[in-house]
Amino acid sequence: MVFIAILIGCIIGAILGINSPLIPYTVSGYLAIGIMAALDSVFGGIKSVVEKNFDMKVFVSGFFVNSITAVLLTYLGNKLNVDIALAAIVVFVGRIFIDLAIIRRYYIEKWTDWAKKRKEEKQNNAKNETN
Amino acid sequence: MKKFKKGKITMTIIIGIMCFILVYVMFMQFRVVDETNLTSLKTKRESELREELDNWQSKYEDTSNQLEQAKANLEEYKNKIDDSQSASELLDKELKQAELNLGKTDVKGAGVVITLEDGDVAVDAEDLIKLMNELKRAEAEAISVNDQRVTNLTEFADVDSYIVVNGTRLSSPFTIQVIGNQKYLESGLTAKGGYVDSQISDGKKVSLAENNDITILKYSGEFEIEDSIKIK
Repeated sequence: MVFIAILIGCIIGAILGINSPLIPYTVSGYLAIGIMAALDSVFGGIKSVVEKNFDMKVFVSGFFVNSITAVLLTYLGNKLNVDIALAAIVVFVGRIFIDLAIIRRYYIEKWTDWAKKRKEEKQNNAKNETN
Repeated sequence: MKKFKKGKITMTIIIGIMCFILVYVMFMQFRVVDETNLTSLKTKRESELREELDNWQSKYEDTSNQLEQAKANLEEYKNKIDDSQSASELLDKELKQAELNLGKTDVKGAGVVITLEDGDVAVDAEDLIKLMNELKRAEAEAISVNDQRVTNLTEFADVDSYIVVNGTRLSSPFTIQVIGNQKYLESGLTAKGGYVDSQISDGKKVSLAENNDITILKYSGEFEIEDSIKIK
């Protein structure tokens, strides 16, 4: 159900995005930061699902608030002549990698557990047969 | 907010919408980045355009300054050319005057034609020299004898039965063309006891006619100045 919603959302978004009007180049810089914040939120969401403490409220609010804050901070950085966008990118990408590592570990553990169980089952079966 | 936990449908819709927004913005961004190089002017913001305009303006100013300078230089050169032109014009004028004085140009004008012919007595160089003196005294401007231009270095010499003028042998009759003030010339020559009278009484034929359209050819030789050195 959720996967279908994700798929439909992605397809419609891609179609509309391709046909969207062009936006000014400077605005696109802010947009890029927003996208990175949103991706960070998405990975954080997946991580929380993996850790079994996923909260819809936290996820949705993080998705929007992080994006908007990142954009505003970048704007402020431009006004102050400080490259805050770079710092934001570092933080976001770093967090994405950390989240990804947690997710990866979780699935590797799951897989090794499953492989172990299968092995044990096979051994048990073999024992049973010999017995 | 408790609705999210209650209804799975609401959660699904919200996640779908979020996915939609994320992908929509991402693709928009892809397009912008792709097309930025192609339509850079369109996607630029006002401030960037202003900056570029400023750059172009300063470039324009530089270029117009250069143009201004080039124009000034051109003006200067023109003035110089004018100066040299007026100088060369003056020189040209002087040269022409000098040529006129020397008899190096064809001249045309009003004057008198004198015909001097052998009568009972043959015409000799002395007669011509005298005539030249008379004419010069009467302010003649250009003289030729049988189309030989009389210059300041022209000689009149008796050689056998000929008279040599400008190295050319001439014989009677002599047609002397003179450009100058007709009144002066005529009165100077035909005065009582003057040149014409004395020549006729000497037994030579002299006639004098006015002519308003006399053409005197230039001296065709070269003035060879070898021994005189100009003193500054």
